[in-house]
Formats: sequence, C-alpha cells, structure tokens
Amino acid sequence: MPAFDYKFQQLEPIRSFKKVPEAEQYLPGHRTCAGCGPALNYRLVAKAAGKDTIFIGPTGCMYVANASYLCTPYAVSWIHAQITNAGAVASGIEAAFKIAARKGRHTGPFPNIIVMAGDGGSVDIGLQAMSGMMYRGHKVLFICYDNESYANTGIQVSPMTPYGAATTFTPPGKEIPEGNTLFPKNAPQLVIGGHPAVKYVATTTIAHPLDLMNKVRKALSKPGPTFLHILCPCPKGWLFDEKMTPDMAKLAVETGMWSNYEWEDGVYKYTNVPKKYKPVSDYMKPQGRFAHLKPEHIAKMQAFVDEKIKQVQRPIPVAAAVPSKQIA
Amino acid sequence: MAKESMMTGCRAAAEGAKAAEVEVICSFPIRPYTAIMMELAKMVANGELNAEFIHGEGEHAQLSVILGASAAGARAYTGSSGVGVTYAMEVYSPMAGGRYPAQMAIADRTLDPPGDFGSEHTDAMSTRDQGWLLGWACSPQEAYDNTLIAYRVGEDRRVMLPQMVCQDGYFISHIPDTVTLGERSQVKEFLPPYNPINHLSLTNPVSHGPQIRPDQGAPMDAMRAQTFLEVPKVIEEATADFARIFGRKYDPFVEQYRLDDADIAFFIMGAHSNTARAAVDKLRKEGVKVGMARLRWVRPWPTHQLAEALGHVKAVGVIETSTSYGGAMRGGNLIHELRASLYDLDDRPLVTSFMSGLGGETIWPADFDYMAGVLTGMVKEKRTDRYVYWLGM
Amino acid sequence: MSKEDKMAKRLPGYGTIDIPEDRVVPFGAVTPAPVGTQKLFQTSNWRVVRPVKDDEKCTRCLQCYLACPDACWTYKEETDSLEWVGDFCKGCQVCIQACSVDGALVAAPELDFEGGVVRLEKPF
Repeated sequence: MPAFDYKFQQLEPIRSFKKVPEAEQYLPGHRTCAGCGPALNYRLVAKAAGKDTIFIGPTGCMYVANASYLCTPYAVSWIHAQITNAGAVASGIEAAFKIAARKGRHTGPFPNIIVMAGDGGSVDIGLQAMSGMMYRGHKVLFICYDNESYANTGIQVSPMTPYGAATTFTPPGKEIPEGNTLFPKNAPQLVIGGHPAVKYVATTTIAHPLDLMNKVRKALSKPGPTFLHILCPCPKGWLFDEKMTPDMAKLAVETGMWSNYEWEDGVYKYTNVPKKYKPVSDYMKPQGRFAHLKPEHIAKMQAFVDEKIKQVQRPIPVAAAVPSKQIA
Repeated sequence: MAKESMMTGCRAAAEGAKAAEVEVICSFPIRPYTAIMMELAKMVANGELNAEFIHGEGEHAQLSVILGASAAGARAYTGSSGVGVTYAMEVYSPMAGGRYPAQMAIADRTLDPPGDFGSEHTDAMSTRDQGWLLGWACSPQEAYDNTLIAYRVGEDRRVMLPQMVCQDGYFISHIPDTVTLGERSQVKEFLPPYNPINHLSLTNPVSHGPQIRPDQGAPMDAMRAQTFLEVPKVIEEATADFARIFGRKYDPFVEQYRLDDADIAFFIMGAHSNTARAAVDKLRKEGVKVGMARLRWVRPWPTHQLAEALGHVKAVGVIETSTSYGGAMRGGNLIHELRASLYDLDDRPLVTSFMSGLGGETIWPADFDYMAGVLTGMVKEKRTDRYVYWLGM
Repeated sequence: MSKEDKMAKRLPGYGTIDIPEDRVVPFGAVTPAPVGTQKLFQTSNWRVVRPVKDDEKCTRCLQCYLACPDACWTYKEETDSLEWVGDFCKGCQVCIQACSVDGALVAAPELDFEGGVVRLEKPF
C-alpha cells in the first residue's frame, strides 16, 4: 500500500499579532467561567487551525461549559466523546477520512483532526486511548488543556494537580496538612518516551498566544500524531482573581513550575527560559489552592522544581525508537 | 450458481463484512471471536478488502473507534466476546443515541469470573437496554446472512441504529458448516452504500452531541423509542428482500419449526436450536406433539409475533443459555420477556425455563427428552410447578 | 386479515409516541454549527463592569484581543480599528489586566452605561 497523501493544508507560521487570522472558529456564546483559561486556549487553537478542522471534545469543562443545552460555539464540525475515549474516537474519524480519500469520496485537504482533552482525559482516564492513538500513528493533534484538576466536576485531584494543592478530594486537614501529597505525571514525557510514531510534542501556555498558535500549526503540518500540553489556569479551581489568568501562566514559566519547549526529531528546544528563576512561592502565594501550605511544603515544591529546572539547562537529546523521518 | 463451501461462523461473519465492503475495522483479540478479525486482517493485507484495519487498545477502544468512523461517514465494523462485550459497555448508548449504524459481531462467551471459553448468551444480553439492534444466528450461513441483513436494517434511514450480530462461541464460531456466499451483484442489490445523516464534514459543519437540559432528555429518549416502533417493518422488508435476492428464506423474527399443531414447545435462541430440531423430530416420531420457536431478534423483541406463534401452545419451555441472577424467575433472561409477550392472551400457555448449555456445555438430545417430559407433565397437571429447572442440578 | 393482524387486535399495542412541536429535539443530538456567534447562550448579563478603551493611549499591541476567551475584541488591520463588542462580554477584566499601556483600558461599572446591566427575558 503506497504512503497516504494527506494533502496538507497550507498553515503558515503567524509572524505577529496583527497577522493572526481574523476568523473565529470558537465563537462567543458559551457558559465557560469569566476569565476561563481553557476557553481562551480553545479560541486560540481554533483560530490557528482554521475552518478545515474537526474537533473531538471529551467530557470535561470544554464539553459541558461549551456545549450548553443543544447548542455549541464551534463554527467547525465537532463531536462529543466520552472522557475515556477521545483518542480512539479521533482515530476512527481519521481512518474514515483516509478511506474516504482513497475511495475518492473526500477530495481536498485532509481535515485537521484535533482532540481537546483535559488533563484527566489525557493522562488519567483517557490515557489508554491517547496512547493507543499515538502508537498507531494517526494524523491527529492531541491537545491536553491542563487546568490541573478534574475541574468540571467541581475541582477534584487529577494526575496533573501540583503537590500541595487543595482540591475537594485532597482537602488539607489535621492528618494531611498539605492536601495533595502526590506529584504530577509528566504528560509530554509519557508521549515522547514511549511512542515511536509521534512526530512532534510541545508545551506552551495561554499567556504565549503567538507561540501557542504557531505550535498548533506546526503540529498540524506533521504526517502523524502530535501532542500539545498547554497550561490553562483555572480561576475557579486555583482560586485567584479571574483577571489574572494569563498572569498565572506567566508566573508558572517564570518560576520554573512550567517550561515551554518543543520536541521534534529527538531534539528538545526550550523557549521563554528565565535568566533567573523566581521562587515558587511567587507562584503559589496568589493562588488560594496553596494557601494552607507551611514553609516545609513550599520547600518541598521548590526542591521538585529545582530538579525540573536542571533538565532545562541541560536538554537531553532522546533518539526516537524508530527515527521519525523514516515513518511514511 | 453461487458456490457452497465449508466454513466456520467466524469466517462466515468476516465474509459478510467483506461482502458489505466495510471501511473501518477495529480489532482486539479475545476468544472465541478473534478469528473474525484474523480473517479480515488477511483480506485487508491481500488487498481483497479496501479498509482501514485498526488495532484497538481494548474493546472499549474498539467501539470508540467505530463510533468516530461511523460519525465521519464510514461503514464501520468491530466485534468481541464475553467480558470484552461488557468492557465496552460505556460506548453502546452513545452509539445508539448518536444514531451511528456500525456493526458489532459477537461470538458469545461466558462472563468472568473465572475464565471460561464456553458460550453463554449473557455477554450480549446484558447490553440489551442500550438501544442497539440485537439478534442471534444458529449457523455459519445465518451469521453471514445476518451480517448483511443487519447492515441493511441498521443503515435504513428510518432506523439508523448500530447492530449486534451474535453467534454462539465455538458451536457456531468454530465448527464449520456449509455456507453459500452471495455474488457481488446480489450484495450490491440488497445492501446500498451507507448514506449517513449529518456526518462530520468540512463542508457542512455540525456538532454531534452537545450537552442537554433535563427537559430535553425525555424527547431524546422518546425519539429512540419511536424508532423501535418502526424497526419491525424494516426487518420484515429486508428479510423478504433477502429471500428474493439470495433465495434463502427466514421468518423475520421467529423460526417456527413444527409449531402449528404443537401442544408443547421449546423456545430457544442460537446454536442449540440445531439439536432442538432433531429432538423435535425424534419426539414427534414417538408421538409427542412438540415444536420449536427460535428467536432471531432480541431487540426489537417480537412481542406480538411470539404471542401469535406460541399462543395456541399449552406449555412453553424456555431454553436459557444466559443468567439473570436475582431475576424474577431466578433463572435466565429470555423467560421474562417471553412471559410478558404471552401475558395478555386470553388462554395463556404455561411457561417454565431450563437453564442449560451454561458454561458452554452441550445440550444433549436426552436433555430435550427430559424437558419435553417436564412440559408434558405440566400440561397434564395444568400448572407450572417451577419457574426454572437447572439441568443436571 | 393475516393471523398476526388478528392477534395484534386482541393484544395490547405498543402505543404511539407523539412529541409536541415545542419539545422536538434534533435527530441523534446533531445540531448545525453556529455562524458568527452562538446566540442561544447569552452571557452579557454576567458582567458588572465593562472595559473602556482610551484610543489615544492604545498602541494596538493587541494583547487584549488575544487574551479574551469570548472574542469580545475585534481588530481590523486595514483600518487599524480595535473595537469592543459587548454582546457576550462577561466582564472578566483579563483584557484590562493584559493591556500593556497604563490607562489605555480601564474597567467602568455597567451602571454608568445606558442599557448597561443587561437583563435577559429568559435565562437561556
């Protein structure tokens, strides 16, 4: 069977804010919270992807808050998936378009097939489906919008919740003073470390809109599965003033709690690396979810972040198990 | 003249999927249905079938993949057995409610615990509230035929529902029998291409499955129920058309074997009906006026058709190859709906049930003798002594 | 009349299901994609403040434009016009916080405006 011709869409990098495409594909008229980080992310991703796009929306805030009462804000085709299976549903859609293209039923460019999954739908309950999709090499962009909790159900701990964060399943108390005792999974590393067919993995935040949109476009130009891990602060869950949503994302990068990087052909490239990292307490103080922490807990977090930062100073090139250039 | 050959139920189901020119197949291995996927894999690899063959990461993924494929306008196919069927449970209702008419082939297997490769119907029966079309074959030929009939019914625009096409594990899935495959022209005449409604498209953007308010829920449910009022007619049309084109005639809902003048009857589904037919013949020679009613469709349940077929009979024995622990009769699944079907008759038959073939055991001709004896006794006493008999226990 | 029809006459029927017109829902829960905005979900009644732009001070950095989750700022490069469209603004003030120039964007109470503090006939 000859290699499939995806007939890529021409999605050029966006050079400046003024060159951002005007058309909105994620329309106003959704009941996301005022100042919602994931909603802003959706808008930027949809703008970057353009009209020849199909979104898969597993259950979560970006399903329930967006799709209100038999209406949705998506100007492009969209389908609901279970929180468990977004990667699998996306795989089926991709396969259907491939066969339709092979049979001549679908002409024109291959659609941008984009999963918008929360952290739970990506690395917890949705992990299996995400991994299966990455393994099989479908041309799908899997985006993890990370608000660091199961937010839609009222803020419960997820494998991306930071150590020491209060959630309704990790309330601080006499016996458990820090609230959440666990450290989060490393989502991009899960993808990079184990899936030879993956073409591109990147991290970014909603406070870096041009970076975000260009990483979306770059991912969509790859002939296989790609993964974006995007920090989307959540005012309701993290307990900060809703106008500070982008500021929280900036602080995350400035303190080393979050790093923006790309992984492509086995090579890491970091951006927005602070000359001098601010202490993690700068990030944690403005957020009510950390208000209960004692100095010893913050020190534990600082130690964790210090280890993470060491990786940034010294990026370790990782060879893909199968060099990505050789996969059709 | 179409060629006759020997093949297993698994191979027959795969041939049916190939004849239907399925476009997206999602596999995952579990005994005893795996051979269906192995056959399809060979067909795809050899270029006999132009389809995407996707290795799902589990049964839940299999159903999810075909949901996506069907939503995007492709004819999709998958299958499973036993706990694989129950693992995928979450996805059945989204598929039925989303009106994605993909097909799932099931080769029955007992549910865990513990591992048992034998056939029981409980796996597929436990999904029957999810809104799919659900039916059983009793031979490899019927497995092939039902594959085509199910797509024809499920993709009909009056229906648009996913279908489960079931066959007993091992008895049907693994034992070869004669199968006549359809000619391409026959299949093309019988089964039109899949014509999706509002599939995911770039030119006509749609949203599949937004959140709804509670008051929007009842009309959603009502629409799905309304469809099931329409389905029997579509099944009748399709079955009649099948007979016309392929020359094989099935009673759309209930195979009625020597039932017309029967005093007692076996009500049965699936593979063991082959033994039942032979048992009926033998008992008839001995003067017992016995018949057999074999159920082909569990959803939609043919309430009136069963009342019509069995209404004149004095005692019905339900042969149960599934379990419903704590159920009204403390036995299997079929008896509840069978009794409900007969309830409003002026002169109701007596009804009992026989738990048999559980674990994948054979139901022997001697078992049918015993069951006929029980039913005859019931007719004489004019009463049902017990709801359920556990054969051999 | 077929035997089955006779039988059906004696047995109860399945009944009919009539969905009243004002409760009809789309087939398979599939709705057409909205165009322009999703008017079925109004959010302008959420806000108590609105952003007000001082056009003299505004440098068109477009931070506000790319910080609004609800696309309440429209920018046209040809005319270099940056306008607030309040139809869905929730008053989150992210744009005001993101503004790179002191005083170019301030929060003003809704009550100061004619038609401010939007009220809806029905919640949704």
